[in-house]
Amino acid sequence: MSQDVAEVVTPGVQSTIQDAGRAGFRHHGVPHGGACDIFSFALTNRAAGNPWNTPALECTATGPILRFTCSTTITLGGADMKAQLGNVSITPYRAYDVQKGDTLSLGPAQTGLRTYIAFAGGLEGDRFLGSSSTFLPAEIGGLHGRALRTGDRLACGDSPCGPPCEIPETLRPRLAHDWVLRATAGPDFEIFSDPARAAFFADAFTASPRESRMGIELTGPLVTPPEGFSLRSGPVFPGTVQCPPAGTPFVLLADAQTTGGYPRMAQIIDADLWITGQIRPGDRIWFHAIDPALARTIAAQRNAYCESVMPGFSFNA
Amino acid sequence: MTAAAIIPFGERGWLATLAETSEPTEAGIRAARIADQLRSVPGFSDSVGGIGSVAVRFDPAKLSADEARDQLETAINAEKQAPRRARQKIDIPVCYGGEHGPDLEATASLLGLDRERFIAMHAEQPYRVAMLGFAPGFTYLGTLDERLQAARRATPRPRVAPGSVAIAGEFTGIYPLPSPGGWRLIGQTPISLFNPHRDNPFSLFAGDEVCFKPISEDTFAQMAAS
Repeated sequence: MSQDVAEVVTPGVQSTIQDAGRAGFRHHGVPHGGACDIFSFALTNRAAGNPWNTPALECTATGPILRFTCSTTITLGGADMKAQLGNVSITPYRAYDVQKGDTLSLGPAQTGLRTYIAFAGGLEGDRFLGSSSTFLPAEIGGLHGRALRTGDRLACGDSPCGPPCEIPETLRPRLAHDWVLRATAGPDFEIFSDPARAAFFADAFTASPRESRMGIELTGPLVTPPEGFSLRSGPVFPGTVQCPPAGTPFVLLADAQTTGGYPRMAQIIDADLWITGQIRPGDRIWFHAIDPALARTIAAQRNAYCESVMPGFSFNA
Repeated sequence: MTAAAIIPFGERGWLATLAETSEPTEAGIRAARIADQLRSVPGFSDSVGGIGSVAVRFDPAKLSADEARDQLETAINAEKQAPRRARQKIDIPVCYGGEHGPDLEATASLLGLDRERFIAMHAEQPYRVAMLGFAPGFTYLGTLDERLQAARRATPRPRVAPGSVAIAGEFTGIYPLPSPGGWRLIGQTPISLFNPHRDNPFSLFAGDEVCFKPISEDTFAQMAAS
């Protein structure tokens, strides 16, 4: 029997229930989905004592104001939205016991884009293909497949929950306005000219205002495929960077379509994919080329480093 | 089947481009068949067919990159012997033109055909599902008669009605859900091809055969209401 845990006083810009996503259905056109910054999401859950992949609230740009309708334990992580519980400023990755009637207010993020709110036991939501993640384009999952609205009621889930977990300072992601994204050469890297490839991996790009859970458009140096080049539609993944004929690269995120016809210049490494969930319009981005073997080593090292705090978590998930 | 090339797709993926695949629908169906064989390989997390290409992703904790590559190459080489999924044949009722297909008149005109001829040509041949992608349940159906091939719209529509039947290039397709879309909308089907609330949410698989059956506005309205 589900229990209401909070009422939405104001919904924020785009607040959706997300978990670790639904893997293995891309051949049906179903994106993986899930938290765009999987790392902050996982740490926030663990700080609340939840398994890392428990459904939580993903808040974008400006977060919601929630009034609690029963007592529970919450944690916040990801971008700093200057959250207040009553008149107490919230410290990230720290568990707070809240009582019925308490109000949690989030404001606009200045650095980073997404904040996660974890509730002990998780949030209840519509499930599809084994996940509660909200996929807005198809109105699937989470709170009836949509973002929060004023007056909505969030219900707590019944996920197993242990005591809050201490998140070491050294593990917490540092957010910024300048980002280096390590990437391997994409499957269509070879079709680009030397100058185009050099520009892609040397010059700074800027995140345009055109961004969503589906992807981020980058402005800066134009990176164009050869004139008249065409590619048959083929698979793409979150972290794939497409370079369409117009010359503005596009970084695919969790809800991106599963196939595309634009050349795939690069693939962001698994260990850095979480960053794409925190890039704000105006942030600067550099791509740094590394080879797949090194990328695997980096992910394996990071997975090992995280294991004690986040059992079962993998950057390769 | 042989792989023309197998190259890395990220640190835990491979993309194989298939040789011997000039016909686009055949290229999609054979890729899907290979992808189907690979989906159950322990350690593989994704196995997706494109038009003449197959991408796989693996868990590096369970498989080495070389092992994954070998599995992919083996499946490609064994494609001719791979079991074929039973081919479903589905009739899709379509109300062509008018509000249901706002691009039909302009597209027919662009192709030098009158409206009736365009509809007759689109509906007279069966199509096969070459690929699923772009959105949940979106089917690429091929291969469209050369005389019906036109490039997609210069500017996509922000919202395409669910069930919209469309064409672009070598394929015709059906948008199962509302979404932005750049294909030319020629009609609409009242039947649902993707329903997340059903036990089997997906209706069509690669290789299935689709026949479009023209219906009237009235029939569309009746079917949509039921």
